[in-house]
Amino acid sequence: MSLGIAGMGWVTPLGSDITGVWERLLQGNAGTAQSISSPLGPDYPVIPVPAEAIARAPAHPRLRRSSAISRFAVIAGLAALEDAGLKLDAEAAARTALIFAVSNGGVIYTKRFYHDIVASGAQAASPLLFPETVFNAPASHLAAILGITGTSYTLVGDGAVGILALKMAEDLLASETLDRCLVVGAEEADWLLCDAYRKWRLLRSMPPIEPFQDPPRGTILSEGAGALLLKRDGMIRLEKIAAGTNFHRQREAGEAMRKIFEELGDDQVDLVMASANGTFIDAAEHGAISRSCPAAKVYAMKEALGESVGAGSLWQTICGAQCLRTQLVPANAAPGFGPEAQSQPSQRSDQLQRVVVSVCGLNQQVAGLRLTKS
Amino acid sequence: MPEISPPNQAPHAARVGVVASGIVSPLGLGLDETLAALREGRDCVSPVTRFPVDHSRCKSAGQVADARLAGAEKLHPRPERLHRVARMMILALGEALAQAPGFHPELTVVGTTSGGMTFGEEYYRRLKGGQASLRQAASLIANYTPQKPVMDAQEAFGVSAPCQVIANACASGTNAIGHAFECIRSGRYQRVLAGGYDALSELVFVGFDSLQASTPERCRPFDRERSGLVLGEGAAILLLENLEAAKGRGAKILAEVIGYGISTDNHHLTQPDPSGSGARQAMEGALQSAGISAGEIDYINAHGTATPFNDAAEGKAIVELFDGVAVSSTKGMMGHSLGAAGAIEGVISLLALENQFLPPNINFRAGDAGLPLNVVANSSRPAHLRTVLSNSFGFGGTNASVILRTVKT
Repeated sequence: MSLGIAGMGWVTPLGSDITGVWERLLQGNAGTAQSISSPLGPDYPVIPVPAEAIARAPAHPRLRRSSAISRFAVIAGLAALEDAGLKLDAEAAARTALIFAVSNGGVIYTKRFYHDIVASGAQAASPLLFPETVFNAPASHLAAILGITGTSYTLVGDGAVGILALKMAEDLLASETLDRCLVVGAEEADWLLCDAYRKWRLLRSMPPIEPFQDPPRGTILSEGAGALLLKRDGMIRLEKIAAGTNFHRQREAGEAMRKIFEELGDDQVDLVMASANGTFIDAAEHGAISRSCPAAKVYAMKEALGESVGAGSLWQTICGAQCLRTQLVPANAAPGFGPEAQSQPSQRSDQLQRVVVSVCGLNQQVAGLRLTKS
Repeated sequence: MPEISPPNQAPHAARVGVVASGIVSPLGLGLDETLAALREGRDCVSPVTRFPVDHSRCKSAGQVADARLAGAEKLHPRPERLHRVARMMILALGEALAQAPGFHPELTVVGTTSGGMTFGEEYYRRLKGGQASLRQAASLIANYTPQKPVMDAQEAFGVSAPCQVIANACASGTNAIGHAFECIRSGRYQRVLAGGYDALSELVFVGFDSLQASTPERCRPFDRERSGLVLGEGAAILLLENLEAAKGRGAKILAEVIGYGISTDNHHLTQPDPSGSGARQAMEGALQSAGISAGEIDYINAHGTATPFNDAAEGKAIVELFDGVAVSSTKGMMGHSLGAAGAIEGVISLLALENQFLPPNINFRAGDAGLPLNVVANSSRPAHLRTVLSNSFGFGGTNASVILRTVKT
């Protein structure tokens, strides 16, 4: 079925307006890593959302006690509606579905809540914190703010969850009871996640993220949100979504990625918006790209925006759509690829017709999609 | 009874059959044990043994003994890493696939709220105690994520379908069945694996206790002196298939899924609108989706958590929408298994249809004044059932209802 992007919004370490962040990506800017202190281990680098970007959150009672992840989701979701020029009245809200994608969820409040139990016992547990630890709390807040009273789903998964959410949107829009679907992915960074990813041997102790290096040197966590308002038409079309498959061992990731590219079709791909983040997934993705579309340019946006897991694949999709909209590709060294894959700063390419967003998650899920101009 | 709008499905919508199911819950392992426990109205709630509950008001839950999950180990290539909820999923999926050889799903849709949360708890406790070795921590982290149990279960049986893992709090399991149903009904899929899973964890147990949503007493759904829920755990699977395709390959059709309704109640993050509007909207949506009237529903497996707020709102919506339909909540027997609940209750609804009986609502004495619900009090009873509705409502205002119907052969 036909599926188009009607509006986009995001909250990133480089800001929260589509055009402004895009300009900075074209200029080769990257989010600034900051050190985050762990009371139980070393300090870790993270790439946070700047305070001024969060200040755009509306003053709404639902956000009074909410965690950062909910604020990110709300800002991005509202921005996508604004980008589409859509104000949701009750009738429009009833025909709008919300899908929220997340991986780690409200880790800051979850950690605080459980810390109190461990440190002081169950009697110290806060009833104010617990509801915000639930995975669908951000979606609930966003639905309340938008007045959505019908379909709302929260999907959990690894970095591929955003693509799975877009696939779910495609399935939902097969029903004539819905006109549009707002897909939002969000994540918040915390030292506990950094500690976990370090012990999982995926984290780098110092920036930058260097995609496609062999051997991989590790990733840096970031945070934020991405949002796409999908309709049955739109300037940028989602031609095909591969809902993916699973791999069970890291060495199987390459074969899983190959199947994604095979499903998406490897002909006439002009650009691959890669998920490479400095970990084992880079080699899996590199092998699949080299085999399936060796002539395509490759852009790995996590070099600039960090690994935001639940938001990451929606950021990739937004970047892919921006490349098609503007016919510009940010500069990106793509070591290990041929000269065709490399792009120069703000390189203009009127031939950009088809972009593949490929995602290899860190915990066994892979997915991808193909974007094109209408 | 109010008029129901015409069905919202396209005229060419595909019919959707349930061709197999599997279940692990405090009621037992597998369909046979579950059916026996339901018929007996067995109370399977017991004192919590998995973590200390000295400082909690509530001290009981529905639990699945670890020893009973041992059978999952020989089915997975790396059993030492499996979370116990993954073991539940493996057993439930194994039971379902054994009934439907050759069922290869194109998509998996499951619900959960916290997956392998206890691995996350263990990781944090070890970290805080300075005991987390790199090797131990990496395994705990990789296997704690909510999607991992279903992927472990798929690996055990060589299933490679993409997994959509819905985390709509306590409505997740019913959402999973409902979305799977819509995927097939639209004609976009032929076979979808649906289900749900959750295991008891200290964080969630204390969370509900901190909200005073759980009870130190017996769990008494719809009783006027109800004082809260008890938690449970488990996993359940339903294999959904295009009905004509299933018939074409000679599959046994256990029931047909005919309707699904979903709503979002924006009243409060953890409490339903007291008017019952969210619950009512979900049930009306399911009836409309099925194209049937409320009078055609023979039994409602209610969400019925036994919290004062939920049961009042749900009961009000049922009374407004239906006329004396038989209602029971099976959570009094086994506790509330959160993301698994909708799938478990979907399987219980299947068992009720197949075996023509009403599952009991135990620990019931008297209902709310002014709320004339026809509660299936304390004992199961035979009944002629053709159409059953199952409700699940959750934090965040998520509400879901599915309707199952017998298939005439």
